[in-house]
Amino acid sequence: MNASSLLSTRPVFVVGIGLHRYQRRSDETYVSLGLAAVREALSDADVSWADVDAAYTGTALLGMGASRIMLSKLGATGIPMTQVENASASGSSSVAQACLEVASGRSDVVVALGVDKPRGGLGAAPGEAGIANLEAGSVVPFTHFALLASEYMNLHGVSDEQVAKVAVKNHRNGSQNPFAQRQKVRSLEEVLTEPISGSLTRLQCCPVGEGAAAVIIASEEGIERLRIDRSRAMQVVASATKTEGLYAEGVGIDAALTAETGAAAFEEAGLGPTDLDVLEVHDAFAIEELLYAEALGLCQPGEAAARVESGDFDIGGSCAFSPSGGLLAMGHPIGPTGVGQVAEVVRQLRGEAGSRQQPNARVGMAHMVGVGAVCVVHILRKP
Amino acid sequence: MTIQPRHPHLLKLVDPPILVGHRCITCERIAFPPDPYGCEKCGSPASNFEKWDLQARGSVQAVATVHRHHRPTPPTPFTVGVIELVEGPVVKAIVEGDGVVVGSSVEGFLAPEEPDDAGNVIVDLRFRVTR
Repeated sequence: MNASSLLSTRPVFVVGIGLHRYQRRSDETYVSLGLAAVREALSDADVSWADVDAAYTGTALLGMGASRIMLSKLGATGIPMTQVENASASGSSSVAQACLEVASGRSDVVVALGVDKPRGGLGAAPGEAGIANLEAGSVVPFTHFALLASEYMNLHGVSDEQVAKVAVKNHRNGSQNPFAQRQKVRSLEEVLTEPISGSLTRLQCCPVGEGAAAVIIASEEGIERLRIDRSRAMQVVASATKTEGLYAEGVGIDAALTAETGAAAFEEAGLGPTDLDVLEVHDAFAIEELLYAEALGLCQPGEAAARVESGDFDIGGSCAFSPSGGLLAMGHPIGPTGVGQVAEVVRQLRGEAGSRQQPNARVGMAHMVGVGAVCVVHILRKP
Repeated sequence: MTIQPRHPHLLKLVDPPILVGHRCITCERIAFPPDPYGCEKCGSPASNFEKWDLQARGSVQAVATVHRHHRPTPPTPFTVGVIELVEGPVVKAIVEGDGVVVGSSVEGFLAPEEPDDAGNVIVDLRFRVTR
């Protein structure tokens, strides 16, 4: 049985969401961060910890054994707990595992949590693989994306200012999000200062801080048994994960991988790009929103910058891109990020996003890519 | 005093320098950097690879000048290019000199870095614009 028939045979829903604000590294422990998010998610769903059958913790930086020392403080119920690491998509993969567990029938109520605290470096394993390359020591992620920006701008005749407008929009969205690490409206002039690499400036690069996000995934049976409010339960209609294939030399792997994973998710959901009202993408760097808008089929190649300028990707436009503020403004604490995206999509589909509400949002997508390279996409729908 | 390449497995110290990739005997895929494990196209083990010389010449597909770096070397600002080699593989490397733009033709050369206390010199591959 493939995932598609699993999710349609035994539907799964997000019934609770909770976050700890994303913030710069502080003295707060990861236990405190994670518990805040899970407690809020339990309260949001109006279920108790004793009702939870299993937990997945998305984390890339904490080290082994993070879950039990944290979650046992809600009561040492002895449930299965598993850490999930998938680079920047760790949280997305914890959601994917939770959905699979509920869809399989093994559990009715599962928590997917993301929590992390930044360390000195990311400690990415590909650098330890023993495969030498020329760029080691000179090309870090922001330069990888600055090079993609250079290629894109040259190919499509797009200016630095047009790319920077993605960041202006997402900082504006983040200013309305109490969970965002960056909550300031920024002018185009401000965004264009402080060059980092190529056309990318500081405010076009995401902050990597700390935080936590949790969602509670439940089956129909779980919703019935625990008398969970059905009107606030949003269905997960696709959960797709892919890794980088062998692409033609020179093709931007991030966009090609996103196109494949997005297509798999749309097929699973029986939906297409024009159905999306809300889209949280991996905008770790401003150029990525343009690349992924096109890769996911929301517009033709080369059109995304004009769509941003026209306001089409604003809250209130045809599809609100990163109403949370995205990685650029809400932040990218690694483990929590993908879970936080799903929480934002759920909030939008419920109509509970307040001043950053996309009107009449019925379908939303959460998209992450991670070093390695991996891509994870979820599509959620208001039943 | 010795002269050592920064990446001894990737380069031949000749003038002009040669990049050393691999060719999979089973599926004929040519790849750079060379891989000690196996073929991403057909799955053959690396014992099925032969070394494959690649000319350090190509054209610039993308370019970025780096203003902030987490290490003292290379000193900022420096410029990185995505270079499509004439034989197909694509590499990222530092391009020296002014005037590099998308579409520039570039060639490799060996640039000496600062010698250590014993006077040993590390040379690294850089590219420069030919036209």
